[in-house]
Amino acid sequence: MRSGIKSLNTASNTSAPPDASLSHRIKRNLFDTPFDSLLTGVCGLVLAYLLYQIVDWAFLSSIWTAEQEPLCRDASGACWSVIDARHRIILFGLFPFEEHWRSTLACVVMIGTIVASCFPWFWTGKKLSVLWLCGFGTFYLLMHGGLFGLSVITPEKWGGLALTIFIFAAVSLIGMPLSILLALGRRSKLPIIARMVGLFIDFFRSLPLLTILFAAAVITPFLLPGWLQGDKLYRVIVGFAIFFACYQAENIRAGLQAIPAGQDEAGLTLGLNYRQRVSRIQLPQAFRNSLPSIVNQFVITFKETSIVTIVGFFEILASGQAAYGTGQWTQHYIEVYVFIAAIYFVFVFSLSRYGAYLEKKLRVGHD
Amino acid sequence: MKRTVKTTLCSLASGLLVAASAMTPVAHAANGDTLKTVKERGNLLCSGHNGSYPPFVQVTDDNKWSGYDIDYCRALAVAIFGSDESLKVVPISWAQRFPSLQSGDIDVVIKATGWTMGRDTELGIQFSRPYFVGATNVLMPKELGSTTPETLSGGSLCANAGTSTERLAANFFKSRNIDIEIISFEKSEETRAAYLAGRCDSFVGWGPNLAVMRQSAENPEDHVLMDTALALEPESAAMRQGDDNWVDIVNWMFAVTWIAESKGITSANVDERKANPADSTEEKLLGVSPGIGSRLGLEDDWAYNVIKQVGNSAEIFDRNIGSGSVYNLERGLNSLWSDGGVIVPMVLD
Repeated sequence: MRSGIKSLNTASNTSAPPDASLSHRIKRNLFDTPFDSLLTGVCGLVLAYLLYQIVDWAFLSSIWTAEQEPLCRDASGACWSVIDARHRIILFGLFPFEEHWRSTLACVVMIGTIVASCFPWFWTGKKLSVLWLCGFGTFYLLMHGGLFGLSVITPEKWGGLALTIFIFAAVSLIGMPLSILLALGRRSKLPIIARMVGLFIDFFRSLPLLTILFAAAVITPFLLPGWLQGDKLYRVIVGFAIFFACYQAENIRAGLQAIPAGQDEAGLTLGLNYRQRVSRIQLPQAFRNSLPSIVNQFVITFKETSIVTIVGFFEILASGQAAYGTGQWTQHYIEVYVFIAAIYFVFVFSLSRYGAYLEKKLRVGHD
Repeated sequence: MKRTVKTTLCSLASGLLVAASAMTPVAHAANGDTLKTVKERGNLLCSGHNGSYPPFVQVTDDNKWSGYDIDYCRALAVAIFGSDESLKVVPISWAQRFPSLQSGDIDVVIKATGWTMGRDTELGIQFSRPYFVGATNVLMPKELGSTTPETLSGGSLCANAGTSTERLAANFFKSRNIDIEIISFEKSEETRAAYLAGRCDSFVGWGPNLAVMRQSAENPEDHVLMDTALALEPESAAMRQGDDNWVDIVNWMFAVTWIAESKGITSANVDERKANPADSTEEKLLGVSPGIGSRLGLEDDWAYNVIKQVGNSAEIFDRNIGSGSVYNLERGLNSLWSDGGVIVPMVLD
């Protein structure tokens, strides 16, 4: 009804609507010729059947609570009992049971920080630094404890979603400034700096991430003196951040190179110094130019965090394996992976939608 | 045991491992070093897993480590500190085991680790006495009617791709001129699902893994083991080379649980037995007469604490793998020699 009135209104009130009504468009696009109709019908039936199968598996024939687990053997649908019984392992890894509120709160703070830094209001160097220092500090305090009567929980007990978010946030926090420095360094007018930075970037880009992480976790303790080693988690994060920065630096450099030389020269004639030219002319345009690939790199990095499981971290994928890895639940690994995939989807999808919003806002590709 | 790890990872890891061990000419520990370090640090760092490896290393509903190997980690912590609160389980992957041991990230590897000559001689580590033996075997449906290898002739076998088990099975059937098609899968979950869905007639795997799988089948009784095992692998704890005192401690930690079992001492009756020891061995074991601790650099009541807090070897097995667990695996070769197994406790004098 409403859509009918609306389409009537648009037809009579506004001049020459670009799109015809929905029903008309459907008819034109899907049922134009008998063959089209047949194709639409067949595809529609197949899709409907698949959709029904999925809905039936996930919702209609599924078992929901941990207590109903004995019913799972005969159920044709999903056995979500495993999630009900073991979701705390997926979300928190080995974090002590009684302290889960800390891990939850820490995740909320970190996600809040990430969301807040997406708002243009925060986009000054000062505000962003304060926001991230506070957000990161609170996250660390909640997870690690040791102050305000919170018991100390060392990083080898961190896990699940909290660890995944921590690694992603820390890698971005260290990697982003580093990537800007590397991008600027590679375009430096001093050949020695440009070449050294170029060599650095190409060296790390030619190594697989797995090798870098393994070296950071296992081999560096043999090479570094004790006081410089720190916890394995921090070594791995630094290794990951360098890897991230090398790729991101190339994205930013692509953006920098797309800026006409006249822009920088105009800045020079106005008497702006190097710092001013970089921060006010070059970087804003570079970010705008290479926004799609920068967001892409963040998306890739979020998903790549699961590789740290190889060096013995309980990030969300390893936690998932631990969740179904006990006699009672071994056969329900599909449900666990679907649950984890849903979590990944929420994060990565929001990230890419935000990228799309930014592109629209900055009108990338429209000037 | 490295059955579930993929070949690529194995080769990559072993490459790095060689690189790591080449860089560590001084990774040998001196006698007594490890115990001193552990005591100074105030906790024992034992190997965990990145995920779970039932029934050896797994995670309970309230986010705590449990399992057969974890219980022995606990026993070692109790032996040193008198309580397992000082145990820190460090999650590590299969490939990381030995480099992490060398770099001091962990003090001991108790993680279903097979005693092989290569590991023993080339990696700068040494092994304890085997505390578990696991047979590689084939699981097949009961309805085939017979459990000889020949039954499977002309059939198919599910295996995990690129593992030593797969090669072992291929050689085993080839040497007996039995024609069998091996279907391999990348992930162990896939292999398991394929067998349970009837895509292959049989499934090859390591004993405890087979038990875990059988337990997840619709009717566990419908699946039986082949009457001939393909191979038997002794699992031992691994430690850095050179610290004999540390090896002694780990060996005697295992031995104490075996001796207690052979004498019928359990966590439930240990106090009673300590009050009325039957003979001089029992007196020594439970710390009534001195000697068991001082010779290792521990307290004299360490064995009593281990039995009291963790239990004897029968209790540890039943709780994690045997009748007290969901896996309900027969103890078989892992029984004491007096019950027909291969476990022989050393002599406490």
